[in-house]
Amino acid sequence: MCSLASTADSTGVRPLMREWRAVIATWWTILRICLEERLVYRGDFALGTLMRFLPIVTQIFLWGAIFQNAAVSGVSTISGYTYEDMIAYYLLTMVSRAFSSMPSLAGGIARQIRSGEVKKFLIQPVDMIGFLLLSRVAHKLVYYAVAAGPFALVFFLCRAYFPGWPEPLVMAAFLASLVMAFLLGFFLEALMGMIGFWFLEVSSLLFVYMLFTFFFSGHMFPIDMLPGGWKTVVDATPLQYLAYFPAAVFLGKIQGRELAIGLAIELGWVLLLVTACRFAWRRGVARYSGFGG
Amino acid sequence: MAIIEVAGLAKSYRVYQKKEGLVASLRGVFRREYRLVEAVRGIDLTVESGEFVAFLGPNGAGKTTTLKLLSGVIHPTAGTARVMGHVPWHRENAYRRRFALVMGQKNQLWWDLPAQESFRLHQQIYRIDPTTFDRQRDELVDLLSVGQLLGQPVRELSLGERMKMELIAALLHSPEVLFLDEPTIGLDVIAQHNIQAFLRHYQQERQLTILLTSHYMKDVAALCRRVVIIAHGQIRYDGSLGGIIDRFSSHKIVTLLFAGDTIPTGLSRFGEVLEESPPKVRLRVDRSVVADTLAAILALPDQTVQDVSVEDPPLEEVIAQMFAQVSERPMPEAVTQ
Amino acid sequence: MAEQPVFSKATAPAALQPASLWMYPRVFATFARNSLVRDMTFRWNFVIESLSSLSWMLMNLGFYVLIFRFTDEIGAGTGWGKYQFFIFLATTTFINSVVQAFFMPNAEEFSELVRTGGLDFAMLKPIDTQFLISLQKVDWSSLSNFGFSGCLLVYSLIRLDYLPSVLQMVLYPGYLLCGVALMYSLMIALAATSVWLGQNQTLYDFWFYITNFSRYPMEIYRGPYGDPLRQVFTFVVPVLVVVNVPARLLAKPLDEQNWPLAGFAIVAAAGSLIVSRWIFQRAMLQYRSASS
Repeated sequence: MCSLASTADSTGVRPLMREWRAVIATWWTILRICLEERLVYRGDFALGTLMRFLPIVTQIFLWGAIFQNAAVSGVSTISGYTYEDMIAYYLLTMVSRAFSSMPSLAGGIARQIRSGEVKKFLIQPVDMIGFLLLSRVAHKLVYYAVAAGPFALVFFLCRAYFPGWPEPLVMAAFLASLVMAFLLGFFLEALMGMIGFWFLEVSSLLFVYMLFTFFFSGHMFPIDMLPGGWKTVVDATPLQYLAYFPAAVFLGKIQGRELAIGLAIELGWVLLLVTACRFAWRRGVARYSGFGG
Repeated sequence: MAIIEVAGLAKSYRVYQKKEGLVASLRGVFRREYRLVEAVRGIDLTVESGEFVAFLGPNGAGKTTTLKLLSGVIHPTAGTARVMGHVPWHRENAYRRRFALVMGQKNQLWWDLPAQESFRLHQQIYRIDPTTFDRQRDELVDLLSVGQLLGQPVRELSLGERMKMELIAALLHSPEVLFLDEPTIGLDVIAQHNIQAFLRHYQQERQLTILLTSHYMKDVAALCRRVVIIAHGQIRYDGSLGGIIDRFSSHKIVTLLFAGDTIPTGLSRFGEVLEESPPKVRLRVDRSVVADTLAAILALPDQTVQDVSVEDPPLEEVIAQMFAQVSERPMPEAVTQ
Repeated sequence: MAEQPVFSKATAPAALQPASLWMYPRVFATFARNSLVRDMTFRWNFVIESLSSLSWMLMNLGFYVLIFRFTDEIGAGTGWGKYQFFIFLATTTFINSVVQAFFMPNAEEFSELVRTGGLDFAMLKPIDTQFLISLQKVDWSSLSNFGFSGCLLVYSLIRLDYLPSVLQMVLYPGYLLCGVALMYSLMIALAATSVWLGQNQTLYDFWFYITNFSRYPMEIYRGPYGDPLRQVFTFVVPVLVVVNVPARLLAKPLDEQNWPLAGFAIVAAAGSLIVSRWIFQRAMLQYRSASS
């Protein structure tokens, strides 16, 4: 585990600058160490990544059969998606999930709180959330580096399903939505992990969360397919931005004004969750120290 | 016919070098580097029924591997062995019902359940008749004084208590041969003592044949008359405990008590001075010259020796010295007495 | 075989109960009971796991309910309409919950046993090693789907416009067992390779990805890639036979076309059990045991 020493300093501008530089240097060290740690396991990643595309094969056939039957009655789209769109959608949700999925983040935080490991963060200048964020960034960077190959291969093989590259502005929106999906996924899970300050058993909450995420984030099917009433419910949560939104943006299902609003709402959710996390951390730590842990 | 007969038993492993990184791993699919580890290099051993034999040896000597070979857990690379007439690695059910293996710090009991549930499973798997089973279990539980712990989940027991349960589980089916691999490792002194006392009593009463590996001299000294020393996968010594000292110890410890408060100077010419606390001195003297040295000291002018004792060095020291010796020296023949 | 010489002065080996094959069911009953006791001590976990299994199934069902809003059949002319497909789903769940309850925990445990050397203890016992390591743990929470699938099955059967014959209904559980046998064989064969390959999460994922193909009617695999895929997964690694045969048996009227495949299913189940046992026994011969 990466740990660090604080740098003491006096007041004044130049000392302040020095302190900033020290903080940045510290954060850079953490990032570097965590990157190295992840790189050791890169061998397993590539094979595992390729295998993760296998369910797409069954989806290709399943939707093929569904659309084939729909074609018999002259229908060629489902909720605005053609067969090719549908397959492209699933492939794209794999990209968005590569950004937004945070395996064992919430569970890890809850565990560290339960075991008392969280104490070390109370005495160090870098707080737990910041540290975890950096380590996740490192993890993701390595993952992308290794997964880029398999992803590119699969996307190339399936290029017939894609309608082509989107315009530069839409592309930019896509990339922005991916970055925000990462932040969203991170702070959402971190918030849930911190429930561990108040409740011993976080697993039940996590289970409910994972359930809802799987069904309502667009991972299983495009949100557009949901009937009106359900769609309203889903719109009240940030879940669709974890898988559905970036994919839909890339495919051009969300455009113009709608796109701008969507991005704004996503940003809003990110800010809300960051604040909630900070708040939960402060309150949680106060409560934790109160117990003399 | 001896109960255990081993001839030329050998076991070597190929240990593959595992490389990190994708490219290296891929290359590893086609051509792997390995090194050969010879855990056991030709062991000959005969054990009669009712013997209690200790296996001593430094780490990695092949003690545990030998026990595993005799239990049938692994197949040998060469050689033969017969235990009670069976070939262990054929893993016949008839053989498996007649012996037991206990490994220190390794648990075979169900972790979350009380020991008595594991015992019940044992009864069914070993097909022990219920009356016999009850009698055995009660006797063992009584001897080891764990009656009130039977209903507690195994994970809540201390290391010593867990070891006792493991021993009970091993003996429930009345095996004729018992293999013990470091049974007292990690236990506190009292627990060790209890288990030693139990083993001694039980072995004598039932005339079990027991093979015990241990690091602890106290285990060995308390329980076994016969000691087999293994190093580098080969037997280096097979005989009595006392014989080890005779064979491997080159020194004796001479303790002198002088009259008056002072001790003579220059005693170091007689041997290594281990301790000087007037009026007592302890010297380490080469075995071959003990008599002459004593004569010389007693003949010293201006000094009267009030008391003399000549002892063997502590067994641990001898063993440790011997381990060091055999680790360096390349293969002298085994010494059998 | 020669008389076994008696070596020790000790009392003869403890009197054996009469040798019989009844030992195995009895031992299994103890395994099941012990696992239940253990699950009950972690009651909260048990409830969560049960709800979790149930919810996955409900979500899957929800997904297909959604799809059937847009189409009335999966694949043109395949006969897999809404209620037929629900029967397919129920069949999938029956088989999967049995596999997950009785075999999955043991397969996961096996590579751990190999790694820690705990497998040594399994090999000391006078009982078939494959039996022991395949059945010693039961995950009762995975059976939570059973009841719900049963209800789904009955509900769908009622909604069908035909009633399956007695023969079909009697054969159905038998073919469920064939499906379980096939899944088990694949699982144990993969688990056995951990003796050579060491602990491998990828292996476990591999099982999941391959059996994923079994969750859909075989008719969807068509076309230049689909047809060969279907052949491979029917005859080489017969996962498609697992759910398709029993589901078809119940959901569709009896048809001469189906009999060859049904016959093949039995052969495949028996064959795969034999092959997987052979692989397992080879693995046991090669077992090296963790160093102390």
